[in-house]
Amino acid sequence: MSALNYLLQLFLLLIFFGCQSTENKNIVPTARKVVPKISLTNNVSKEIPKLSDYSFFKGKLSDLIPSEDVYMYELNNSLFSDYSFKKRFIYLPEGKKMTYREKGVLSFDPGSIIIKNFYYPNDFRNPEAGKEIIETRLLIKEKNYNWKTLSYVWNEEQTDAYLNIVGGETQVSWTDHKGKKQNLNYIIPNQTQCKSCHMLDKKITPIGPIAGQLNRKNIYDDMIHDQLEYFSEKKILLGLPKKDARPKFSVWDEESSGSLEDRAKAYLHINCAHCHNDLGPAKNSGLNLTYYETNQRKRGVYKPPIAAGKGSGNLKFSIVPNEPEKSIMIYRYNNVDPGIMMPEIGRKSIHKEGVALLEEYIKSL
Amino acid sequence: MKKKLLVTFLILILGLLYFEIKIPSMPSYMPKREYLDMEIPILEAFITAKDSSMIELPEGHYLFSQSLIMDGKKNVTIRGAGIEKTVLSFKGQKQGAEGVRISNCNNITIENLSIEDAAGDNLKVTDSDFVVMRNIRSAWTGKVSTENGAYALYPVLCNNLLIEGCEAIGSSDAGIYVGQSKNVIIRNNKAYYNVAGIESENSSRVEIYDNEIFNNTGGLLIFNLPHLTVYGENVKAYNNHIYDNNIKNFGVKGSIVSTVPRGTGIIVMATKEVAIYENKIENHKTINASVVSYEIYVPPKNKKKKKKKPLRNGLRQVEEDYIQDISYSAYPGKVSIHDNKFKNKYFIPALDNDFGLLWIMKNKLQIPDIAYDAILPSNYLLENRTPNPEYKICVKNNGKINFVAMDAGNDFEKFSNDLDDYECDVEFEL
Repeated sequence: MSALNYLLQLFLLLIFFGCQSTENKNIVPTARKVVPKISLTNNVSKEIPKLSDYSFFKGKLSDLIPSEDVYMYELNNSLFSDYSFKKRFIYLPEGKKMTYREKGVLSFDPGSIIIKNFYYPNDFRNPEAGKEIIETRLLIKEKNYNWKTLSYVWNEEQTDAYLNIVGGETQVSWTDHKGKKQNLNYIIPNQTQCKSCHMLDKKITPIGPIAGQLNRKNIYDDMIHDQLEYFSEKKILLGLPKKDARPKFSVWDEESSGSLEDRAKAYLHINCAHCHNDLGPAKNSGLNLTYYETNQRKRGVYKPPIAAGKGSGNLKFSIVPNEPEKSIMIYRYNNVDPGIMMPEIGRKSIHKEGVALLEEYIKSL
Repeated sequence: MKKKLLVTFLILILGLLYFEIKIPSMPSYMPKREYLDMEIPILEAFITAKDSSMIELPEGHYLFSQSLIMDGKKNVTIRGAGIEKTVLSFKGQKQGAEGVRISNCNNITIENLSIEDAAGDNLKVTDSDFVVMRNIRSAWTGKVSTENGAYALYPVLCNNLLIEGCEAIGSSDAGIYVGQSKNVIIRNNKAYYNVAGIESENSSRVEIYDNEIFNNTGGLLIFNLPHLTVYGENVKAYNNHIYDNNIKNFGVKGSIVSTVPRGTGIIVMATKEVAIYENKIENHKTINASVVSYEIYVPPKNKKKKKKKPLRNGLRQVEEDYIQDISYSAYPGKVSIHDNKFKNKYFIPALDNDFGLLWIMKNKLQIPDIAYDAILPSNYLLENRTPNPEYKICVKNNGKINFVAMDAGNDFEKFSNDLDDYECDVEFEL
């Protein structure tokens, strides 16, 4: 019988080794740097070249102290962008206003500019102690009522930021909440990549400033205010309804702010729904992760992938209730391979706390 | 003596088994490359291109660490120095899923170049009108593998689209995949080493002609899936050469193409108004051409006896809730297959899927030229007991063929080779 055994083993070995691929498809080949002999483009940008030219901030630019007509605001939930912090402002030229909307983005008068600064505090345990600002992104509402995107990259000296076209990478480091040193290669998106997220029905749009996200407290003039009421009192927000008529999103990492499902929905809204909505760039997938979507099938429950390619990870459904390890949503969110990860851009690292929340949510379904 | 005989016998059996499992081995595409880095100037050209302008890419094999994206532009041509000359490679890219991504554009031409090795899709064009892809070789290099990106050429949600003179190689999903689009011409292209060669999915007014589709798992797929933004109908495929699509299915599980049995020439699934004519369809180990409903992908359920298992390979367990999509019809109809030339040099079906086993048991071992699942909807008969013309399937003038009506909805009870009921004509306007 040993001959038989031997044969069988040989056979199994053959099959096993016959199927092994020795290639690694992810190796980056080397490339010799060259410059084009004739310029590929002769387009000179007409945009404002430096952030300081806008006069959004007074005093030292990197202190980000808002000038008149510039208003600081915060959101209940923020897109995960590699643990960076964000300082947000709205510039409204004198007399220009925002108008309240219940579900969509607030309506902004032409001339409004939404300003978002991406930075890393040196020590997350003491965010005010010192920081490095990486980039400032602007959404500008033009006279023709269309939004335009621009971004500015800060210099090393932190004295000013300059118009960004092709994007780039920069090393960042910080000390995290547990006192551990962290660093990563931060990717600054190029000009076109803004649109990868900020598109709705073929038009550029802001994402953050919706009522449910703005409905929270904030500090103005050393006093705690209700953010929306503060804007209304300042007469820069029209049409604010009574308090109990305003939607409010739960805060994903504050358990007291809402049920697990509500917090997960709010988290998915800010991290996924800019593409995964009925009019967004991912509408072809049939997945809708907006806070207000109630159809579980559209939210991913037992929804098969449409054009996910290897993003499906050999799994059958976006969400399998009670089984996060079988859910494509977790597979893609807990991944950094560019061909697999979701969102497709905007992060190089995994948001462990976010993955944990979504896993808990799927387990609860 | 006995033992020796037994051992010899076992060697023979194992040898045979080995070849059945191993063959066909996966093919490779290995062009010679010497990469250059001109990432920033080319990226800048894509970003800052003015409307009504041309980006001319010089000769060279350019390597990129990120996607090249163009958005919201009009009348732009992106032109290389030639398929063999200008190569845009995304091998090992660090950022973005696509190689080249074009979105929200109007009147865009991309031509005379190669695109290779993107993490996800090589060329994706979305939400755009009047798009031309011409003389593009879109490929994954090296041995064909599940690690390859999904689609070589991937227009989705586009209107007025022309794909011509292109080659699609090595996609782990479909080589040329047109999704949720309207007014499409796919002509004079080659697709090989993909899971699916060419696929029209939820698209309408599509003409597919003069293409060569070979060495894929499945050749040409005309699919209509539930729960999407739009549904497809009205597709013509003619004068194509579809042959030898027998390679192992290397699709990612969960994708619809991963269920396509190797050795399938054409699948028309749940699509209305389809004409397949004057094609040469040859040498497939499972079926040369098939017409099926979406239901064949759904396992039977609520049957009294749970003896039936879903068929392996062919039949995915998903989307059982397609019935809730009231605007979706799961059945093919107004399908006409006529004046094609069928041939098959194989006479034993592939045994790694249940269709092959079915042919052995029910079809005298023959591989069908045309198979129709004959799963019928509940409203198949009109009130006057005549068949609803919406679900008509016609098969005519294809020479001497092996035709199969499977009766797959009733355990193959009325499995038949009789063509008489199907000799008819369908007319529709394209």
